[in-house]
Amino acid sequence: MLNTKTKGLLALVTVVVCVSLAFAFMVNRASAHKVAHDSETLQAFTDAFMEQVIRGDNLFHGGTEPGINLSNTGMACAMCHPFSSDIHPHEFPKFQEQMSEFATLRDMINWCIEKPNEGEIIDPDGEQMKALEAYMYWSNRGSVLDPGRH
Amino acid sequence: MPEKKQGSSDKVVGGNVDITRRTFLHKSLLTGGAIATGSAVGFFQTLSSMEVANAAGESFSFAWVSDTHLYPQTLNQRFIDKATRAFGEVQAMGSEFDFMIFGGDLAQRGDPVELELGAELLKEVTIQKHFIPGEHDWYLDLGEAWNQHFGESPWSFEHKGVLIIGLDTVGSAPDYWSARGMTPKERMGHMEALDGSQAGPWSGLGSKNRQWLSSALSDWPKDAPVIIFSHTPLWECYAPWNFWIRDWRQVHEIIAPWQNITNVHGHVHQPLYNEIGGMRSIGMLATSWPWPYAPQGVPEITKPMLRVDPGDHFDGVGWGKLSMADGYMDNEYMMWREQVFGTTRADSGTGDNQNQVLSPRIADRGWTGD
Repeated sequence: MLNTKTKGLLALVTVVVCVSLAFAFMVNRASAHKVAHDSETLQAFTDAFMEQVIRGDNLFHGGTEPGINLSNTGMACAMCHPFSSDIHPHEFPKFQEQMSEFATLRDMINWCIEKPNEGEIIDPDGEQMKALEAYMYWSNRGSVLDPGRH
Repeated sequence: MPEKKQGSSDKVVGGNVDITRRTFLHKSLLTGGAIATGSAVGFFQTLSSMEVANAAGESFSFAWVSDTHLYPQTLNQRFIDKATRAFGEVQAMGSEFDFMIFGGDLAQRGDPVELELGAELLKEVTIQKHFIPGEHDWYLDLGEAWNQHFGESPWSFEHKGVLIIGLDTVGSAPDYWSARGMTPKERMGHMEALDGSQAGPWSGLGSKNRQWLSSALSDWPKDAPVIIFSHTPLWECYAPWNFWIRDWRQVHEIIAPWQNITNVHGHVHQPLYNEIGGMRSIGMLATSWPWPYAPQGVPEITKPMLRVDPGDHFDGVGWGKLSMADGYMDNEYMMWREQVFGTTRADSGTGDNQNQVLSPRIADRGWTGD
């Protein structure tokens, strides 16, 4: 059995947590889509995206960053995929023949890093993966979404 | 430039140029000719080689190897293994070949270590060898090491009734490096990326080489066969990847009077075929890796290669055996797989081009040097 002092402490903690969550929720809700977007805001969104596209472009073309090793053969992604061609990011997810399993684009990126490039796979949710994904989608924008296509 | 070389036979063939059935089928498909398309396609696609015509002349064969893209051995053994396999196979069949042509891109970064490695590997082949450069061999030192190892281009010689020409289509790039103060390594780095934005339309003959070509052809009979070796194709396939020469229109004006020209080229790392006027053009395999097809697709008369398995380093690559026998030249892709060409969307290397909208890369557009 809890004594009165402990019960009081638990109640206080519960109140503090609930208030904090409510406050955080309200703050987040209040921070987006409450006012019309001006051109500067939209440009900031674009800049945030293109920053990742350029980062991914550099990685795709043999660039390096600390803590990752995308290739041990000298080969870069772009050597088989100039302009990001023959990746077809718009066709994922799909059954990927080389992997003999249903795969996402990120799965395939890591497969290429590990197999043809003989590099070390990267965090599938990490910054570099998101940047590579951003570059591939940007390069292929305008292609029709067609998931599952071989 | 080197003097015009004389080959093993000075015989000039003046007979009529014949057209093989396979080539005729190409033309029929292109122009909607009289042959029923369905049966023509069905027959054509069972073939694994393409024939070009030479109605008279002595038989001979030669081998084509290109695009080995060697790195230093400490970095990449894989490309060495594949080049070694190609050279070994050529040597094993050496008695069949009058010569071997190496079609450029021996090295990846133009590094003297890579070129010396290539020269060492090439010693395996003891038949006569001829060389033309690729851009990867050239732009670290502007061809100095290449020329020391393999001699200057262009060149020509007569061989068994055929005028054989080797062109330099890489060494006359517009200067993209001086104004930006690039180091040789930076210059080569921009050339190294096929889809780079800075090296520009580097592939071309330039006025000096065009004059040389005009001179080399000038006393050759207009109906006699000519084989032109070049690293890049002598037509506009896809300019953004320099799957062309930038001055192809001027070159075609020069070669237009000759009605039996076969251009055999590298750089594209894929089976590719086209016919323009009196010139037929054949794209050859790399030993290193296959490029994807250009985004806009390929000429209707190209049989696209089968999709390759990126997990198999020996898939989609190889070398070429070209034979002039019984008056016809036959090109056989010595691809290290059983099936070369894809016939359905699911199997074809061009199958997804119809739903692929691509943009040029962006990260190097604002490059100003480090």
